[in-house]
Amino acid sequence: MLETTKNMARQILDEKKADGILGLMKGQWDIIQPHVFENPAELDNLVLEPKWLLAKLAMRVLRSSSENYTLAVICRGCDERALIELIKRNQIEEKTLLTIGIACSQEQAALCLCDRPYPAKLDAGEAVSGVDPLEDERVRALLIGNDTQRMEKWADMLRRCIKCYGCRNSCPICICEPCKLEDEVWVQRGTVPAEMIPFHLIRAFHLSDTCVACGACQEACPVNIPLLWLQFSMRKTLRERYGYEAGLDTETKSPVLSSAFEKPDSDREYPAWIHSLRERDGS
Amino acid sequence: MNQPRILIFACRWCGLIGADAAGKKRIALPTPFRVIPVECAALVETDAIIRALADGVDGVAVLGCHIGGCRYNNANHTAIKRMELLKDLLDTTGIGGNRLMFSFGTAHEDYQFEEVIKNFFDELGPLPSLGPWLSPSGVIR
Amino acid sequence: MGPNFIKTICPYCGTGCGLLIEVRDGVAVATRPDREHPVSRGSLCIKGWSAHEFIHHPDRLTAPLLRKGDTFQKIPWDEAIPMAASKLRETAAQYGGDAIGGLSSAKCTNEENYLFQKLIRTAFKTNNVDHCARLCHAPTTVAMAQTLGSGAMTNSISDLAGAECILAIGSNTAESHPIIMGEIYTAVDRGAALIVVDPRETAVTRNAKIHLRIQPGTDIPLLCGMMRHIIDEGLHNEEFIGARMEGFEELRAFLQSWPVSRAADECGIDEGLIRDVANRYATAKESAIIYCMGITQHACGTANVLAICDLAMLCGHVGTEHSGIYPLRGQNNVQGACDMGALPNVYPGYQDVSDPAMQDKFQKAWGGELSDMPGLTVTEIIGRAGKDIRAAYIMAENPALSDPDVNHVLESLKALDFLIVQDIFLTETAQFAHLIFPSSCFAEKSGTFTNTERRFQLLRKAVDPPGSAKEDLEILCLLGNALGLDFSYTNPAEVMDEIASLVPAYGGIRFDRLEREGLQWPCPDLEHPGTPYLHKGRFTRGKGLFVIPEYTPPKELPDEQYPYYLSTGRMFAHYHTGTMTRRSPFLNRELDEAYAEINPEDAAHLNVKEGDRIKVTTRRGDMITTARITNRVSKNCIFAPFHFTEARANRLTNPVLDPRSKIPEFKVCAADVRKEPQDGER
Repeated sequence: MLETTKNMARQILDEKKADGILGLMKGQWDIIQPHVFENPAELDNLVLEPKWLLAKLAMRVLRSSSENYTLAVICRGCDERALIELIKRNQIEEKTLLTIGIACSQEQAALCLCDRPYPAKLDAGEAVSGVDPLEDERVRALLIGNDTQRMEKWADMLRRCIKCYGCRNSCPICICEPCKLEDEVWVQRGTVPAEMIPFHLIRAFHLSDTCVACGACQEACPVNIPLLWLQFSMRKTLRERYGYEAGLDTETKSPVLSSAFEKPDSDREYPAWIHSLRERDGS
Repeated sequence: MNQPRILIFACRWCGLIGADAAGKKRIALPTPFRVIPVECAALVETDAIIRALADGVDGVAVLGCHIGGCRYNNANHTAIKRMELLKDLLDTTGIGGNRLMFSFGTAHEDYQFEEVIKNFFDELGPLPSLGPWLSPSGVIR
Repeated sequence: MGPNFIKTICPYCGTGCGLLIEVRDGVAVATRPDREHPVSRGSLCIKGWSAHEFIHHPDRLTAPLLRKGDTFQKIPWDEAIPMAASKLRETAAQYGGDAIGGLSSAKCTNEENYLFQKLIRTAFKTNNVDHCARLCHAPTTVAMAQTLGSGAMTNSISDLAGAECILAIGSNTAESHPIIMGEIYTAVDRGAALIVVDPRETAVTRNAKIHLRIQPGTDIPLLCGMMRHIIDEGLHNEEFIGARMEGFEELRAFLQSWPVSRAADECGIDEGLIRDVANRYATAKESAIIYCMGITQHACGTANVLAICDLAMLCGHVGTEHSGIYPLRGQNNVQGACDMGALPNVYPGYQDVSDPAMQDKFQKAWGGELSDMPGLTVTEIIGRAGKDIRAAYIMAENPALSDPDVNHVLESLKALDFLIVQDIFLTETAQFAHLIFPSSCFAEKSGTFTNTERRFQLLRKAVDPPGSAKEDLEILCLLGNALGLDFSYTNPAEVMDEIASLVPAYGGIRFDRLEREGLQWPCPDLEHPGTPYLHKGRFTRGKGLFVIPEYTPPKELPDEQYPYYLSTGRMFAHYHTGTMTRRSPFLNRELDEAYAEINPEDAAHLNVKEGDRIKVTTRRGDMITTARITNRVSKNCIFAPFHFTEARANRLTNPVLDPRSKIPEFKVCAADVRKEPQDGER
């Protein structure tokens, strides 16, 4: 997989299809860090491990480069989906972006609890099936079951938050300037732990239909809060009710942008009045 | 919860009519509540619902017009999917999606408003208070 | 052209997280976490994420400045350096070398600190060199050196994750060392018990299993009560004590005066709770004690640390992979500044200045004569300015905000005949300088920092300093040469080679060995892989020593005139005197207003609402700030962070010092609080 990727990258630079390749470089002293390869000779030092999410870096590189700078990104499935979401939101111009898609191993998928460990445009590596996060015991313990216990468990975890904004800073989709989380009206300023309900629920909810489950948020969290798991049931609803998953292609728009009686919907009957949503669903 | 505090966003074409009427009749309602008039139910930001829960409100009701009756080109439909997803998130965290109640066109008479509130009160009653989630830093906002 | 990502180390706290500075066209535009870093592993705190923001701030000093009356005039380096050298030499000639005082910097690199103390010692034959560790962990260096033989954190940061019981005393780790808090939570997730001792409620206490809300300054009673209980119940580690300790009988006899009931009375904690905590600490397989300013910044700070060491050694909880004593160092390189000998009583590597063998060794290595008399500390240098001390050279320190009793500090700074300040911004201290040298920040130089777990880490240069500002190393070489010394170093690696040759514990430190993950000292030779934890098998001094911790209550307790306890400290969004963080937009969006925490009952009594202006007064001075009403402080207690220049908490603090380590009692003094007329009122 590494050789294929290197060859593709070299070819892209040689044929001037892109001005730079964003990937990981293993430099002197075996130090690994992200790098924009502009010189084909540097590609000898390209590596694909460890999992290092590049979508946000890619967006920054393109934003701060000249208009016709084209970037090729070596991306895993989640990175590609994040880039697609950014294209949908007009943060990246599709014609300035190329991808070299690589597949994740089953071990990596199990670590990330990922059910789609490969990009749609797969160029190197073999796609594996991944794992269903909702089958994982620890996830189930926090998402399903006794409400009161779960409420306390989530509160205990979120109370650890040291307000580093790492989740927001590293999320490829979090791009708003100004960010509501920094607005006094919504979230108290200058206190730790961060106010759990507004900070974390506003953040999680704003991502509801865009989250690509890359896990950057929880990887950046210094206090091990499983932030990604907050998104699982919303993603499940979107998939089961509307057949929608974020980041699969640049055309399909989020179902939340259309009303309940426009496509896409699940062909359900909405009664003339809807009293309580839970009651209607019978749950 | 003993006396769940309920915040009601009432669209002024339907829900607010019922709320006003109930108020004029001085109908006794079982729980502390406050009504915030909005032009249309679709204008209620999910962030405002979240903020309300953080400020100690136990349940949020959004009262809109019935399906087909929205004055603003069926805007009330657009809010439904958002609210569903917010319900999911509230359920995930154990806070409980049934703290969010969304009602179309069932509250434009005073007795209807009374019934909607009483039902909501009954639903919220058995839920635990959100205490562990509130004011985690101890600094009072 | 794409950006470059430069791998370097965070300039804020002693955790020493790795970061990648994104550089585009010579400008640092963003900070990213470094997934590969052994300590931070892809995370950063809010300050780390903003590390790049102050670098290109327009306030950066770009040229040497000379005071002309009330203003400063730019002058070229070839005027500034000779002027500095001749002024300092004049002062030394007229008043003696001991009339010069040097304040080195816990923010600067090891190499810069080494050269600074070498300059002061060799050019002026004085040991008047110190730095802000005096205000922070001086008790740690003194007390741990006495009990264990080494004043540094005994284990590595990641070792905390494996402890079964973590006793956190006087540390608001979630706000001061957030990434280290992550390790503690990992331990908790694995079943560890987190026990926190703090008169205040903090994010740490709210996430702890047990919170001991002791009266301010009663740590020794608590620790002695715990030790007495442990001995009475036979929970002390007799085998460990027999094989590895000295002084147990004296300690046991001393603890006769500390029945648990007395401890409970002094601390205001239920006796049963003290016993419970003592049981948990003693019986856990591996227990860790972490502590910070709540222990050290007292007039009995040294004794506080002695008590901690005694407790740990009593239970044999030192010298294994997870058990140990974890003082959390504050500044990014305060550990390094101490290691490099920027202290008045030791040479690099904690080798005594009054030891003739050491004096001989360093005289031979450096050439010339050295003084064998220990010099003055930071607070003494400032305190005696205008009297014994006539000239001072301050490198990247800001005593005008960080020292206690700031009103006197400002008077003292004015009284100096000659003051050189070397810094990146015109700080409040630099306002008093006669000559200012513009220097470089962490992203503009190479060199090493040593974090709190004794890890030497390499900095990499990301951008150039602005204007004609120079790297501190270069400035020190220019000044050293102008003073007639041989400071012909061309790069920091050369300096490190010299350091390694003079300090056995750093003998194996070379820049090329540090590139990947750094090295934890002791690292005596080129093959040695570094030392994750100390005192395995034997203590640095051989046997550990139990030392009696004498209890003295805080020197200034509340009384009729000043009925409140005032404590000062840190909060998460800003750092120390705010020189860098108050010029960082992201951090200012989080918080840009000074405040003081006041209990709701007290607020009600004073008719103060949230956000009201209040005036806090002590015998030293007063400060007007904004009220933040919270239960985090107990009734009659006030807490004020010291980061805000417009509300300098250190105008209020008590300059009384711990007699052994000379640290001021920042954590307790007596204050009064009044409501101020609000804006628009009269």
